[in-house]
Amino acid sequence: MNWTRYLRTWEFALVVLLVVEILILGMINPTFLNAENLLYATLDFTHILFAALPLTLVIITAGIDISSVSVMGLASITLGLAWVAGINIFVALAIALLVGIIAGLFNGFFVAKTDVNPLVITLGTLFMFAGIAQGMPALLDLLGFKAYGSAGLAAYQYEGITGLPDSFIGLSEATVWIIPYPFIAVLIFAVILSLLLHKTRFGRYLYLIGVNPKAAVYSGVPVQKTLIWAYVLSGFGAALAGSYLTAYFTSARADLGGDALLPIITAVVLGGADILGGSGTIWGTLLAGLVLGFLRQGLLAIGVTNDLIQVVMGAVLVTAMAVKQLMNVYGEYRLNRKALANKERG
Amino acid sequence: MKKFLRSREALITGLLILLILFTGLFNSNIFKFNSITEIFNASLTLVLISLGEMFVIFTRGIDVSVGATTGLAAVILGTTLNLGWPIEWAISAAIVTGILAGMVNAVGITFLRVPPIIMTLGTLGIYRGLMRIITGGSWIENLPQSIKEPNLWKFAGIPFYVWLTLLVIAITAWITLKYKPARYFYAVGDNEQGAYILGIPVRLTLFAAYTLAGFFAALAAVVFTSQIGFVSMNAADGFELKAIAANVLGGVSLTGGIGTPLGAAIGALFMTAVHSMLIFLGVPGIWDNAFAGVILLTVVYIDYHVRSALELQRRQARIRGDASLKGGES
Repeated sequence: MNWTRYLRTWEFALVVLLVVEILILGMINPTFLNAENLLYATLDFTHILFAALPLTLVIITAGIDISSVSVMGLASITLGLAWVAGINIFVALAIALLVGIIAGLFNGFFVAKTDVNPLVITLGTLFMFAGIAQGMPALLDLLGFKAYGSAGLAAYQYEGITGLPDSFIGLSEATVWIIPYPFIAVLIFAVILSLLLHKTRFGRYLYLIGVNPKAAVYSGVPVQKTLIWAYVLSGFGAALAGSYLTAYFTSARADLGGDALLPIITAVVLGGADILGGSGTIWGTLLAGLVLGFLRQGLLAIGVTNDLIQVVMGAVLVTAMAVKQLMNVYGEYRLNRKALANKERG
Repeated sequence: MKKFLRSREALITGLLILLILFTGLFNSNIFKFNSITEIFNASLTLVLISLGEMFVIFTRGIDVSVGATTGLAAVILGTTLNLGWPIEWAISAAIVTGILAGMVNAVGITFLRVPPIIMTLGTLGIYRGLMRIITGGSWIENLPQSIKEPNLWKFAGIPFYVWLTLLVIAITAWITLKYKPARYFYAVGDNEQGAYILGIPVRLTLFAAYTLAGFFAALAAVVFTSQIGFVSMNAADGFELKAIAANVLGGVSLTGGIGTPLGAAIGALFMTAVHSMLIFLGVPGIWDNAFAGVILLTVVYIDYHVRSALELQRRQARIRGDASLKGGES
């Protein structure tokens, strides 16, 4: 089996890349060679990992979910509003995650029940969820509910719903030994998703749907149910990301995560998932997310501006894809040559 | 005529008229001549961007960098103008920027074989970053009067840019209907391998599509800068998604090979009109996105059901052996 070997080397390459990157960063700034600092640095891009991991499943089915960036804001604002309404913060967190699941269900049903391109559907829900997140506080305020928090509208527009309890905010900073809670959550999420993807029938269905949806239908795969689950997981991951950002920035805002689309998709694609479906792994996405996250941290540390980093990130995405595609072309070319040579001999 | 009435263009035009009538029930100011031209005037940037995006979608591709290309071209236009370049040169520089930005996408997609969404997502980041690097993150203000002037020109009571855009739509529509190589976009999108076997230059066609997207984005940048009078750092932010939505609304199918420039333009007009209607109805602007999303989803959902019903009808007809429908079968 040629492709399993290829995938394995891709993930191995990512590990090598990650190690080299950390070493280079360490040479520039020795504080980077400290495990505690490295783990602490992950807090800056944990939300990308939360959203990218389950998106891998969606992309394996040859789908895409660009609405996850809006779900982040929607989950965040839901959490804030629920708390302002006097609900216990952890119940509010559960509600926010539930909202993510419902958003995913909506996407999933629409994708599974119609033949409309997932990009169009999640583009529509991207607008819709963002609009709901922006409009909900205003609507509640109109109905006489003090939705903007104690500080009123001006403060809300400036910094969102603030004053969330320390018991919740502390979650984003607490550590077990030197490992931050959010990073542990990422690892647990990755293990669960990876088991789902690689050890269950559900996971194999995802690949089959991505390779050939018609064949999947004819071999009795519950295509619709499988697709819905993939989008639900993506919505849940995005809600996790939104809730995490709320704690990290200590305020609930409708526009949280708005600029995360490029890094999220970059992480999944750099992780080895094929945007046309049928391939991809959870660990690849996680590793690629770490590589990109540390790259950003490192560039910031050596004084590169945010604007230039955006350019570098775009270039990394394009270059990585181009190299991978050209390697594929070259591999095919070599196989063809080999086949022709064999034929001449035979 | 009957064919037109069943088309997506007709559906969306009907919806647009209904929307205007509905708004008129609550606020009759909308029926004023000025209100209508103002809606047209406000939609021009999106119309132009959508026309460029249309060529890419014809070929079954996608370009999410067009908004950033518009922003970059606007920055080049503003910067060169403030450097004292004559207006013709500055506009040429902006157009060339757009074309080059499109060509970068085209090279990546046709020669390096990067999937379109990945390539243009990458350049989206690159162009937005470049914008800020060129200006140092500050807005470009104090533009010379020469660029703002055309926005005030009017012919027969209708702004100059509306005429210009109508002319661009007419030319594009005429070309896509009558000029043979323009049909290549449809052929490549409908069946790339088939097109290749027929001897159509597939790579060149794809290359042209992304370059055209860049060109139209730059045209939009000129209109945009002239209308607004300054260039902010989030100029045309998110327009890539709106342009895709406009195309889908106007019946340009993401599966490739289907659609018309008229549809793309009406789709863009519709997207802008929704925004204007909400203002006329007194709904706060924060609801814009929600409405745009709901309308897009509703239209694609209706379209899906109509298509399914037609497909069912055709199949039943085939079972019955209905001769009148047989012709349209193959």
